[in-house]
Amino acid sequence: MSLAIRPYYPDYSTVPTQHHFNPYADNGGSIVAIAGNDFVIIGADTRLSAGFSIYTREQNKLFSLSGTTVLGCSGCWCDTLTLTRILKSRMQMYQQEHNKVMSTEACAQMLSTMLYYKRFFPYYISNVLVGLDNEGKGCVYSYDPIGHCEKATYRAGGSAGALLQPLLDNQIGQKNMLNVKPESVTKERALSIIKDVFISAAERDIYTGDSISINIITKDGITQETFELRKD
Amino acid sequence: MFLTRSEYDRGVNTFSPEGRLFQVEYAIEAIKLGSTAIGISTSEGVVLAVEKRITSPLMEPTTIEKIVEVDKHIGCAFSGLMADSRTMIDRARVECQNHWFVYNENMSVESCAQAVSNLAIQFGDSDDDGAAMSRPFGVAILFAGIDEKGPQLYHMDPSGTFVQFDAKAIGSGSEGAQQSLQEVYHRSMTLEEATTAALTILKQVMEEKLNSSNVEVMTMTPKNLFHMFTKEQVEEALTNVFPAEHPTPIKVNKQKV
Amino acid sequence: MFSAPPFWENGPAPGNFYNFPNLQPQVQQPQDFRQHSQSPVTTSTSLVGITYDKGILVAGDLLASYGSLARYRNCPRIVKINENIILGASGDYADFQYVKDFVEQKVISEECLDDGLALKPKSLYCWLTRILYNRRSKMDPLWNNFIVAGIQDGQPFLGTVDKHGTAYADKVICTGYGAHIATPLLRDSLDKNPQLNLAEAKALIEKCLEVLYYRDARSYPKYQLGIIDVEQGVSIEGPLEVPQKWEIAYHSKRF
Repeated sequence: MSLAIRPYYPDYSTVPTQHHFNPYADNGGSIVAIAGNDFVIIGADTRLSAGFSIYTREQNKLFSLSGTTVLGCSGCWCDTLTLTRILKSRMQMYQQEHNKVMSTEACAQMLSTMLYYKRFFPYYISNVLVGLDNEGKGCVYSYDPIGHCEKATYRAGGSAGALLQPLLDNQIGQKNMLNVKPESVTKERALSIIKDVFISAAERDIYTGDSISINIITKDGITQETFELRKD
Repeated sequence: MFLTRSEYDRGVNTFSPEGRLFQVEYAIEAIKLGSTAIGISTSEGVVLAVEKRITSPLMEPTTIEKIVEVDKHIGCAFSGLMADSRTMIDRARVECQNHWFVYNENMSVESCAQAVSNLAIQFGDSDDDGAAMSRPFGVAILFAGIDEKGPQLYHMDPSGTFVQFDAKAIGSGSEGAQQSLQEVYHRSMTLEEATTAALTILKQVMEEKLNSSNVEVMTMTPKNLFHMFTKEQVEEALTNVFPAEHPTPIKVNKQKV
Repeated sequence: MFSAPPFWENGPAPGNFYNFPNLQPQVQQPQDFRQHSQSPVTTSTSLVGITYDKGILVAGDLLASYGSLARYRNCPRIVKINENIILGASGDYADFQYVKDFVEQKVISEECLDDGLALKPKSLYCWLTRILYNRRSKMDPLWNNFIVAGIQDGQPFLGTVDKHGTAYADKVICTGYGAHIATPLLRDSLDKNPQLNLAEAKALIEKCLEVLYYRDARSYPKYQLGIIDVEQGVSIEGPLEVPQKWEIAYHSKRF
C-alpha cells in the first residue's frame, strides 16, 4: 500500500514548527582532586568552550568558599556562575548567623541539599568540593547534578572525568597492581600526577586544554599555581 | 506614672513616652508566676532542675513536662505559660533538624536560641496570611546544650533577649534562687555538685516539700548528651539534698498519699 | 487450534467513521504558545570585539535580517551606555531594543540621584548575566549575545553574556559567525603582538569584517565601530564601509 508510507518533507509540513529552547549548554572542562593526610590539591583546566568554539582560554573554574574549602565546577557555565554566587552568599550568611566559618563537611552537605532543591531543573554541573576537615585531613566530595554526594580521597570530574578516573584509580588508588604496599600519596606526587593526567586529558578531550589552575590547600592556607597545556 | 501606663500598655508595639513596651514587661512578669527552674553550667556538663507544681493529689505528676529534648545535644526548661512553650519547642526542634539536614552538623546552642528568639519577637507582626501573633510569649526558657564550645547554658525571656549564663534561675522563686546560685557557683564545680546545688536551692524556694515526683532533673553531658533523670535517679540525687533526713523523700510522698 | 484472525482489525469503533491512515493531515496545535514564540525573528549577525593597549574596539554591521531576507539595513546595535560603557548586541533585534531601553532607563534613574556615581562595566555585565539567566530559567530567553566593553579602574574590560546567561571576559570576543571566523584571526594577531595600538586594532577589525562579509551570508558591508579608550573616552563611529576586493573571487574556480 503506497498510502501507508509517506515521507516527511519539513517544508511542506502542515504542522507548525515547534522551536525548542534548550536551557542547558555544555561548556566542558575537567576537574581533578587528590587528598592526602594533611593537604588536598584540586586542579581545573581553564578552557571554556561550546562545541568546536573555544570561548576563552583563561577561565578559572575553582572557587574558594572559605580558607580551607575550594569548589571546582565544570559543565553548564551559566549554572556554575549562578550556583557559585549563591554558595558565596550562603557562606557569608552562615558566618554571620552562627559566628563561625562553615566547615568543609557542612559545606559539602549544604551543596548537596542546594543541588537537590533543584531536582527537577538541575544545575548541570559536575562539582568536586575539596577541603580540610576539622582534624586537618584532606577530603574530596564529588557530586552528580542533582545532589548525590560521595566522599573520596581522589576524584576526576567533568568532560574528561571518565577518561581520568581509571588513571587515578591505578596511580593513587593502587588498583590492579601486584606487590605494592599501600601508601598514602605525598603532596609532590599528587601535584605531579595532576599535571600528568591533565596533559593526557588534553590529548584526547577537546573540551580540556589551554592550561590548568591548581589550588593546594594545607593548614597554612591556599596556594595557587598554573600549568600550561596544549592550546589546540 | 500609672496614668501613662494605662494609656500605653495595650498595644504590643506601642512604646510609652519613657521608651518602654509594657506588654513585653507584663509578659516578663507572667513568668514570675511560673514554677521555678534552675540551670547550672559546669565544665562537665549542664544540669537543669525544675519544680513541678502538683496542685491536686489526683493529678498525674508525670504528665507535667517542663524539661524537653530539642535535639540530642540541646534540652530546654521552661517557666511561665506552658502552652506557649509548645510553639517555641516546635520551632527549636525544626530549626535544629533543618540545620542538621542542610549542614550535617549539630546546631550550636546559641544559634538555636537565636532561632527561637526570632519567633519570640514576631508578636504584633502580621505575615502574608494577615494573621498576627497578638501578644508576646509568656515563657522564659533555659537552653542547656553541648556544642563545639562545650557545655553551655542560655536564658531567654519573652522579649526574645537571650544571654549566656553560668547559672540561672527563672520562675516564681527566681530572685531568691539566683541569689543562692551566686553564692554557691564556682567554676570548678562538678556536675554532681551542681545537681545537688540546684536541688538544694529548689528545695529552699519551693512551697511544697521536695520529692521525686514534684521535680524534674536533666543533665547534658558530652558523653550522654540529653539525659532525663528517672524517678530512681532523682531519689538518689535527693539523698544528697537531705543528708540527715530519713526516711527518704519517696516515703514522705507515700505517707502523704 | 488455529483461531481465525479478527474480522475487522484496526477498524473504527462501532458508530465511528473509518480514517484511512496518513490521508488526513494531523493538525496539531502547538501546546505552549509562549515556548513556540521563543525563537529569534529579526536577527543581527556577528559582533567583533578586541582589547588594544589603551581600550577596546567593538564592531558590528547595521543589518537586521528576517531569516535570509536582508530586511532592515540601518539598525545600529552598538550603543554608548555612559561615559565608560559600550553595549553591543547580536541576535534578536527586538530583544536587544528591550534590554537597551531597560539599561538606558537604569542609567537615567542613576543619573537622577546626582551622586556622581556611574554604572560600571563589570556591574552592567553581571547584571545582564542575572537578567539573561533568569529569563532562560523561565524558558523565555532573551535571544541575544551581548558584548559589554568598558573602562573600569583604568583598565579595559571586555565581557560577553549569551541567552543562557553564560558569561566570560577575555581580550578577544566575537559572537555569531565571528566566533568561528574572526576569533582565530584576532587571537593569532594578539599572540604575535600583545600590545596593539588603536590604529593596528582598527585595521585588524576592518580585516575581520571584510572576511566576515565574504563568508557570512547574513552580513552587510555597512558597520559601526564603538571605541572606548582610557584617555579619549567613548565614541561610536559609523556608518563605515567594509573594504571589498571582489577581484580575488576570480581566483576561486567555484565562483
